[in-house]
Amino acid sequence: MIVWLVIVAAGLGSYLLRISMVVLLGRVGTPAVLERSKPFVVPVAFAALAATSLAGQVEANLAGLLPPLAAVAAAALAAQRIGRPYAAILAGMPVFWALTALLA
Amino acid sequence: MNSAWCGREARAEAGAGARAMLPWLAGIGPFGFVIGVSAARAGIPPLAAWLTGPLIFAGSAQVAALALLGAGAAGAVVVVTVLAINARLVLYSAAMAPYWRGSPRWWRALAAYLIVEPSLAVGLDRYRRSAPDDRQPAHLYYLGGGLVLWAGWLATIALGQVVGTRVPAGLHLEFVVPLFLVGDLVPRLSVRAAGWAALAAAAVALAARPAPAQTGIMLAILVGVTVGLRASGDADPVPVPAAVPEPLSDAVPESLPDSISDPVSDPVPAPAGARSGDAR
Repeated sequence: MIVWLVIVAAGLGSYLLRISMVVLLGRVGTPAVLERSKPFVVPVAFAALAATSLAGQVEANLAGLLPPLAAVAAAALAAQRIGRPYAAILAGMPVFWALTALLA
Repeated sequence: MNSAWCGREARAEAGAGARAMLPWLAGIGPFGFVIGVSAARAGIPPLAAWLTGPLIFAGSAQVAALALLGAGAAGAVVVVTVLAINARLVLYSAAMAPYWRGSPRWWRALAAYLIVEPSLAVGLDRYRRSAPDDRQPAHLYYLGGGLVLWAGWLATIALGQVVGTRVPAGLHLEFVVPLFLVGDLVPRLSVRAAGWAALAAAAVALAARPAPAQTGIMLAILVGVTVGLRASGDADPVPVPAAVPEPLSDAVPESLPDSISDPVSDPVPAPAGARSGDAR
């Protein structure tokens, strides 16, 4: 029973976080600094998440630093050249698999 | 309900948003799958584990919740940890709020529920192209993308719960998530201020990794935005990148199969140990 209650409480709390600023800023208006910050939210959030996730992958990969870093380099290059996020996966995963297999 | 929410043009906008979300599904689907595997191994009722999807709707927080519940942690610890990891949602909420001001209350309640990284990215790209006095098309676009994300996320979690344990851990499907984030990030860095902001955020996120409950992510976002503001001065810092799918035409890459599903990817990366362990 406690498991169900905990999950519901965590979900309710998460929803309150999501709607907090929607309610608050809907009443008082958006501060200018927040308006200017909006364009940066996605790039910085993705950079932070990608860095953290990659660090975890590097730690977990027994083959070492090379496969994940080479895969990221291939992914970044493909994304820049093609301009589509999925290109990063199509370029990065084969590099990751191949180097992991070679170095394992 | 206003007819503007259900006419042919409305369906076209919602469909465009849904198509714009499909590439995201390829990126976060494996993450949802891995979470499903975690859910299957958490040692709690399968339905309760799956419910972390629709209720928490954020990948890394779900991973943390499942790991803690499986380890028998106290309920308060689980809830506090989930909320700490999800604290960044407040910033996303602030980013979307101006576009939703004046819209119906039911809409704001529903739209807020769908806020997570992929819906934020797809939604903001469309809202920036919308007219301030007519946000309705952008609302529908966001809703279409958000619902596809939601359905795909829940489906991949369920799939992971059912068949995930049979997929070889050596495929490292969880690596798809950071690759996709890099792929989405790189085209956005054409403006120098955005580049500095992203670099600062990545550096802080790495330095703050030891911080509990991924609170370092929140700090990294705040520092990155601050650096971006300082670097940009009063100029408009980040244009809509060319990589962002256009509204109706080429949002769906031909190379993606129709069956691709999504995650809420929140895509928030799980704590390193938890995710890599879950995949095995």
